[in-house]
Amino acid sequence: MITTGIKKFDELLGGGIPNGKSILFQIEPGMEESDVAFPIMKENVGKVNTIYVSSVSSPKNVYRKMEEFDMKPDEKNFAIIDGYSPLIGAPSEEKYVVEEPHDIGSYEDTIFRALEDLGENTLLVFDSLSNIMDLCNERIALEGIERINNEINKIGAYAISNFIAWPYKEAILYRIKRIFNAIIDVRNERSLSLMEIKKADWEAKTAKFYFKIFKPEGLRIYIPKIIVAGPFRSGKTTFIKSISKKFFPVERLGATTGVEYGVVDYNGYRADVFGIPGREGFAPLLDKFAGSSMGAIIVVDSSSEESIASAKNFIEKFKDIPNVVVANKQDALNAKSVEEIKRMLYPYENVIGASAIRGEGTKEAFEFLAEKIVEELNAH
Amino acid sequence: MLIKTGIDRLDELLKGGIPFRSNVLIYANPFIGKDILMKRIASAGLENNEGIIFVLTDRSFGEMREEMMTVVPNFKEYENKGLIRYIDVYSPTVELKEESKWVTYVESPVNRERIAYSIMQAHKEMEQEKHRLIFDSISTLIVYSDAKAVFRFLQVLSGTCKRMNTTSFFSMTRGMHEEIEVQTIKHLMDGVIELREHEARYQLRVQGCGEALSRHWIDYLLEENEIRLTGAFRMGRVA
Repeated sequence: MITTGIKKFDELLGGGIPNGKSILFQIEPGMEESDVAFPIMKENVGKVNTIYVSSVSSPKNVYRKMEEFDMKPDEKNFAIIDGYSPLIGAPSEEKYVVEEPHDIGSYEDTIFRALEDLGENTLLVFDSLSNIMDLCNERIALEGIERINNEINKIGAYAISNFIAWPYKEAILYRIKRIFNAIIDVRNERSLSLMEIKKADWEAKTAKFYFKIFKPEGLRIYIPKIIVAGPFRSGKTTFIKSISKKFFPVERLGATTGVEYGVVDYNGYRADVFGIPGREGFAPLLDKFAGSSMGAIIVVDSSSEESIASAKNFIEKFKDIPNVVVANKQDALNAKSVEEIKRMLYPYENVIGASAIRGEGTKEAFEFLAEKIVEELNAH
Repeated sequence: MLIKTGIDRLDELLKGGIPFRSNVLIYANPFIGKDILMKRIASAGLENNEGIIFVLTDRSFGEMREEMMTVVPNFKEYENKGLIRYIDVYSPTVELKEESKWVTYVESPVNRERIAYSIMQAHKEMEQEKHRLIFDSISTLIVYSDAKAVFRFLQVLSGTCKRMNTTSFFSMTRGMHEEIEVQTIKHLMDGVIELREHEARYQLRVQGCGEALSRHWIDYLLEENEIRLTGAFRMGRVA
């Protein structure tokens, strides 16, 4: 089995991509994030060998992209099947060149030769299937792809195909869906990039999530807006600092005087987090953010009954989006326990204890909310 | 709403111009005025404060800029105001890359997906309400792939352009393709402007493109940076 490197994504896939499986990424034309195979290649460097079938990019360009993801190809574990150079009549320095790029048989021969050299423990990446279909006659190309997928299945290797979803005929699309073990849709939704597991013939879940690709890090489940709110002096700033890899403070004399911003990168999630100051004057801003956020983190001071009680107002305000109460300052001597706070906020359940100043429990609270946001997206 | 082509008598022939947000094929033999027509269309767009997106498969954006300057002397001012974007699919194939913030390079005409993406990005970046897309040429795309694949690409692209308030002009070279390929592409278009050389005369014909005073071949003269329609098309006028 190989993994995507994203904990939640692997979980949805039932642990990862099992041996012998072929995955089709069906990508909307003109997407910003279309290099979905690279992050998966990156995650599995050293675990499997990779064969990259390129029909739209020169080998030079493929190597350049790999570099952007901090991958260092080595001929013992990486090979390009160059279907591009012959197409434009350029010379190729690659070991595996598709002599007849208009003939799927020529692709097959070259791929099988590379598979023999690199062995069974290999990830085969097609970039792109749609282009190969355009060049080699759709139906005949698909017969070849089916033979390749069958071989992958037989030897227990892995295959990923990028397929740009141009308006092909229904019959062709139907045919494609049948020759792959899993289909993952990649499209724009609400101006964000979305990935949806449409079908898989193993124990995987059909589910969707927003994502972004970062270089060199790779793929992340993306949450564009999480709001952090709570009463005055509950430790929101410290909380955001403790979960963020980048933080932009707005502070004066220890009190926050404007909207703070942090970038969180944790366990495969990437989120932009906005902190709203607790003072009265910021209430209108709070309402504005509540309407556009995907989730809310309510930070309270566990050592102050007043602070805890005020959480109720925030819970009410954020009742339409996934939310969590962070019982902060658990390190304080007179801090109420999570159980006590749950009792005070009954019937509200999502309380997580934390000490932002010690960096304890904060990331767990973030992940708890992030999971809820993905669940919420799949509930509708 | 109609937009001007920048050639007065052609606009007259079209009863005012080309319908806004339509897509038009410019189908012509080489060297008989296709480039002039495209330049005029771009220039008329700039005068109307429209954003211009050039997609270039056969020349670099630098060459296009030079060409435009022969028609629009203050072209660079428009460029600096952010009215121009180039998607240069040519330069990377000859390993020539000049830096400019108005240009996006696409490595190869095979990579239609990246061309589509770059056009969408250019739209997003520009502030104008209306745009013109000058795509020169789809012949190159067809040569590197096939007409059906380019057809699917144009299907997606023309939908996007309409949504983004763009009137698009695609050039295609006469004599380079089989008739079936030409018909396939024409099917997708709202109009076609055809240019030909016939019995030692240059002629132009309009198909589709909204209303037109005449659908017949009309003579024109080629002058430096000018296409001058000399043939008659007015009702009641003797040809």
